[in-house]
Amino acid sequence: MQMKYLYNKARMLGLMGVIGLLIALFVYVVMRSGPLAPVPVTSIIVKKAAITPSLTGIGTVESRYTFFIGPTTAGRVYRVNVNVGDHVKAGDLLGEMDPVDINDRIKAQQTGLKRADAGVRAAEALVQEMLSRNAFAENQARRYADLFKKHAVSEESLEARQNEYQVSAAGLLSAKAGLASARQEVPRIQAEIDGLIKQKADLRLIAPVDGLVASRDADPGTTVVPGQSVVQLIDIASLWVNVRFEQLNTFGLAKGLSAQILLRSMPDQPVPGHLLWIEPFADAVTEEMLAKVTFDKIPQPLPPVGELSEVTVALPPLLPALVVPNAAIQRNGGQIGVWLIEENRLRFIPVKTGMSDLDGRVQILEGVSEGDRVVVHSHRSLGPGSRIRMVDRLPGAPS
Amino acid sequence: MVDSDFQGIDIQQLRKRYGAGDTAVDALKGVDMQVAPGEVVGLIGPSGSGKSTLLKCLGAVITPTGGRMTLGRGIIFDDGWKLKDLRALRRDKIGFVFQAPYLIPFLNVLDNVALLPMLAGIANAESRKRAMELLTALDVNHRAHAMPSQLSGGEQQRVSIARALVNRPPVILADEPTAPLDGERALAVVRILNRMAHQYQTAIIVVTHDEKIIPTFERIYHIRDGRTHEEKGEGRTLDTPPFISKRIQNNPCNPK
Amino acid sequence: MINLAGRDIMHGWGKFVFTGVGLGLLIGVTLTMAGVYRGMVDDAKVLLDNSGADLWVVQKDTLGPYAESSSLYDDLYRGISTLPGVSGAANVTYLTMQVRQGDRDVRAMVVGVSPGSLAGPGQPAYLVSGRHITRSHYEAVADVAAGFQIGERIRIRRNQYTVVGLTRRMVSSSGDPMVFIPLKDAQEAQFLKDNDAIWQQRRRSAENPAFNRPGAPGLLDSVIASQSANPYVNAILVQIKPGFAAERVAEPIRRWRRLQVYTRTQMEKILVGKLIATSARQIGMFLVILAIVSATIVSFIIYTMTIGKIREIAVLKLIGTKNRTISGMILQQALGLGLIGFVVGKIAATFWAPFFPKYVLLVPGDAIRGFAAVMIICVLASVLAIRAALKADPAEAIGG
Repeated sequence: MQMKYLYNKARMLGLMGVIGLLIALFVYVVMRSGPLAPVPVTSIIVKKAAITPSLTGIGTVESRYTFFIGPTTAGRVYRVNVNVGDHVKAGDLLGEMDPVDINDRIKAQQTGLKRADAGVRAAEALVQEMLSRNAFAENQARRYADLFKKHAVSEESLEARQNEYQVSAAGLLSAKAGLASARQEVPRIQAEIDGLIKQKADLRLIAPVDGLVASRDADPGTTVVPGQSVVQLIDIASLWVNVRFEQLNTFGLAKGLSAQILLRSMPDQPVPGHLLWIEPFADAVTEEMLAKVTFDKIPQPLPPVGELSEVTVALPPLLPALVVPNAAIQRNGGQIGVWLIEENRLRFIPVKTGMSDLDGRVQILEGVSEGDRVVVHSHRSLGPGSRIRMVDRLPGAPS
Repeated sequence: MVDSDFQGIDIQQLRKRYGAGDTAVDALKGVDMQVAPGEVVGLIGPSGSGKSTLLKCLGAVITPTGGRMTLGRGIIFDDGWKLKDLRALRRDKIGFVFQAPYLIPFLNVLDNVALLPMLAGIANAESRKRAMELLTALDVNHRAHAMPSQLSGGEQQRVSIARALVNRPPVILADEPTAPLDGERALAVVRILNRMAHQYQTAIIVVTHDEKIIPTFERIYHIRDGRTHEEKGEGRTLDTPPFISKRIQNNPCNPK
Repeated sequence: MINLAGRDIMHGWGKFVFTGVGLGLLIGVTLTMAGVYRGMVDDAKVLLDNSGADLWVVQKDTLGPYAESSSLYDDLYRGISTLPGVSGAANVTYLTMQVRQGDRDVRAMVVGVSPGSLAGPGQPAYLVSGRHITRSHYEAVADVAAGFQIGERIRIRRNQYTVVGLTRRMVSSSGDPMVFIPLKDAQEAQFLKDNDAIWQQRRRSAENPAFNRPGAPGLLDSVIASQSANPYVNAILVQIKPGFAAERVAEPIRRWRRLQVYTRTQMEKILVGKLIATSARQIGMFLVILAIVSATIVSFIIYTMTIGKIREIAVLKLIGTKNRTISGMILQQALGLGLIGFVVGKIAATFWAPFFPKYVLLVPGDAIRGFAAVMIICVLASVLAIRAALKADPAEAIGG
């Protein structure tokens, strides 16, 4: 009899247990999820720190000096002596344009030069001849003048002799002039020859500096116009990175700052360099500042011109100031600020921010004081009436 | 406790008609029956004789069409009355004992019996006290806190008898109470009924066709074709083998 | 008077609780379906809330940038930022595409934002881990739903990005997680074609005699350079100074700049009304069907429970139990079942909701409505059962 009574009691306890469990679960569910549950947040104490802002930008590797080697007149490419990747020294012959008829014209002029020499000699001989004739005619004129005085000859023959004298004097002048002119012919033709030789030299494409052949743009037989390049030469020592920085936060960017260059082909090995200069013209459309960053030591193998790279420039460190992680900065009611935690209650404080570094730390200039506790991460968006629960790490967020 | 105002059952010319007009069927055409308090009578009839209809009228399940029915203290039906609260009648005036115990399986034995006084509005503690009295009288009090499924058939039957008696109804209708039982157990049930009838001065009508117990009745009503006629029964006592004398049987000091 | 309903439950409590749990799972499914619907609508709203914008400026005559593609020049924002009432204007690009990490591909909405401006429009409002983007290239902030960790490198089109911060609930209107990258990278990702296409384009330009004149050697290079520029964005997000009405700021932009401008309410209507309308209706219909099925099953269970007790009910009626008492017993059992079912359903829905691939939003309002509905259904179901019980003939017990 007692046992039967207890059996019923056990049953009642069993049922109560199940019901109790259900109620407990239900209450748990209501309190822990849904809007009644407090929002888990992580927080941080505002401290002073000196941050080192850095700037990153994307750049392309370029050569400071690129030489486009080509002809100065339209012509056909005759020979190209180098290929891409060849190292050349200053003065090396890179190629030649087709001389066409220059050689023949030089030959023609040289023959002309010989002819001019012969002409000079002929003129000189003529002058000699005129000189002797002139002397003879002068003597004859004097003799006949004496004879006329003695009435030995007629006036007509005297005039004839005087006329011959004048004619021969004129002839002498003309011969001298002829000689002078023949003499000028020589340097003229010489100058023509010189000019043609220079033009011929121009057909040779000479490397102006030591460098690397970067591109071979025209092969033998191609017709090129002045301005087109046959070979592009780059000065290896002048490789640099042309970097574009977003205009925001570039305060403090200056010549000489050290930089880390991360080439796209070597993403794990940064190459040291430094900022050479900042371009006076920024890009108004893309809102970027342009700068040139040189390599401290040109990396081997040579990065190709045009390769993309990421450049990080470390700006000078700032004075210590109050710093919070940028995840703490939020927007509420149209203002930027942080959520201050006061005794487990939230209050939104509008702040004024200063510089920030690449690790996400932001200076706070106004609004909070040292030692204040602010919200960093939250499980849901926060409002002034939100109930919060401080945790070390948010549920569901991996470390 | 014996109330001297008990009058048992008195039925005169009870009629019951089903339907109306041409399709009307007279199930009871004029039944006369009297049972004194403390008496146990038998009611025998084949199926189709109107036995079920008479039972339903006696059991206040349906309303008769005519005649007079007196149960206990007052007339409960007279010609043409409309019986309003059959349920209350059943609760207060009639106890039922069935072929099968029909205990409520989700109540323990005590509460099965105590349910009836509770339905009558009596407080729980008092109801349970009365229930305990009956269970003790029927020697099943040691099973008071068990569930019906844990009792033997005989024990369950006794509990159902206790339930029938707990509200002290003036009449008990027992419908084939011994049908599933063998000889010895059947007689045991009859003994109990007789004892209870005497102890509580209740009129008991036993509907049966069990040959084993028919000889025990002093009076038997036969019903045929909607009418009853009374017959003197053998009234065999239940003590000497196979019965014991009636007088001794009626002595409450006599152990079962 | 003893409580018959309570006694009956205790007697067969295992079966009762088991039935309640089964019913509860069904109710849980229905609640979850409502949560899926609400999650879809919330995805759309969250997209608008998290963009931090009060106005969306897009290409004229488009519904963009979410519902339709829109393309604007990227220098238009300057003119807008000087208008009265505008506290800030920023370019933004959106493109849904595959983001690769290691071996796997994630479908994400890539958002291009201008880095450096703190809490500007388009930037995520709060982070659950890490920091915002500081570098102007190759950094990303991703939503946790994408499955990326801080420090991982992800690949978007041509470039690799390092994940520096994580957000939560930053999703597109179709539930794709967002990944924020610097604007210029996003422009390149969206508008710069793949290498093959670029080679083809260069070849076509080189063959075009207009672009490739022998007397003008630099012309072809200039033309190709201009073809590779990406000066487009999808939208300009505008923040309004407090005290200015949205429409008043929007109207001059519409009229004088000849651009399309949407306020928050208009964007919400577009998103909810056009973008997710069909899916939402789909789920809504399914929800209704599920609710009807649940109601039917509840009714069935309660009815069967009652019919199983019909003999006891007949006996009770015979021995004089009031109809009211019997009805009360059935009703109490039905309500008890409904209560257990609802509690189990709510617990189950809360526990399995986070495992769904898209956001499931369970609001207390829905839970309360669900509870009321379950109780009403139980009452109505018990009415059917009570009718059956009351019709039971006590004479059955007498054996006919």
